[in-house]
Amino acid sequence: MHERRSPSRLAGKEAAETPAEVRFVRVPSIAERKLGSDYVAPMRLDPRILEQMQTTIRDLETQYADALKSQVAMLQVLVEPACKGDADARRRLYALAHDMRGLAGTFGHPVIGQFADSLCRYIEQSQSEDWGDGTVVTFHVDAIRDALENPRTDPTVTMETLNALERLIGATRRQRSAG
Amino acid sequence: MSRSVFEAMSILVVDDSAYMRHLLMTLLQALGVKEVHLAIDGDEALALLHTSEPDLIITDAAMMPMDGFSFAHRLRSIRGRALSMIPIIMVSGHTDISSVERARDIGITEFLSKPICARSLYERLIQVIDRPRQFVEAPTYRGPDRRRRDRPFEGQDRRNTVALI
Repeated sequence: MHERRSPSRLAGKEAAETPAEVRFVRVPSIAERKLGSDYVAPMRLDPRILEQMQTTIRDLETQYADALKSQVAMLQVLVEPACKGDADARRRLYALAHDMRGLAGTFGHPVIGQFADSLCRYIEQSQSEDWGDGTVVTFHVDAIRDALENPRTDPTVTMETLNALERLIGATRRQRSAG
Repeated sequence: MSRSVFEAMSILVVDDSAYMRHLLMTLLQALGVKEVHLAIDGDEALALLHTSEPDLIITDAAMMPMDGFSFAHRLRSIRGRALSMIPIIMVSGHTDISSVERARDIGITEFLSKPICARSLYERLIQVIDRPRQFVEAPTYRGPDRRRRDRPFEGQDRRNTVALI
């Protein structure tokens, strides 16, 4: 069986033609280069080192929990001016949500990470930075605050909230495109 | 006791989030990496590469003003220097297929989705350090070979002719 591979979309028209010069370079492994005769192939995951890394994350959790509280409080301060169109407040609100999207899950707050991800995607996809009346952003910020205050919320409720936010985003978009 | 490759490595971490930089640096230190360089965006990372040449780069995707995609593209576009072949691990919260394909087509070596966990970071590092893919230099692409599986295909097999560096 033969595999027919389509050219990369980024490569454009040129890729459809046979490239004039293609060079394949074999790169020695970093492990081989650094360890020389001490190199033993293949390199495997060491459970003790993995445990060290996981302990490192656990150690940072308390520190992060304090920072997260401050960040959520800041989100609540920023949401009103941001929804009224204050550019600096919007930039800072997005930066905070972006941080939460990347870090909250790692430090044991996956629900906050999910709400922050939904908020970031909404902001990223909002045309001309149109936040409408701000309902979508405000509801996301409320959901993040609630998730922080009630970490043991039933996962079903979390899923329902996420779905409700998705529906709200959809409805807002439809309303906007209808004029 | 055998030496760890991590102790001998130099890694550049590029991320606009101070917490993420701190997390990645601490995790790399837990692995034994002695030399970790930090940059807050693509511009600062490029400036840093004038003075140091890391063995590996871990970069965020979404940063301002120069994001991880532009940074990787600029790095891969440098001609005539081994620097352009440095393995790049991209860390991103955008895990949709178009973002992953975009990263691949820019020459990213490995993609790591956020939120990161210790195991996935460790596994990606082993992949990059111990199992490098050959590097492709073509008019429209520079980066690690995007074909990971060895399946038959139609056309000329150009992979038979490799240069060794």
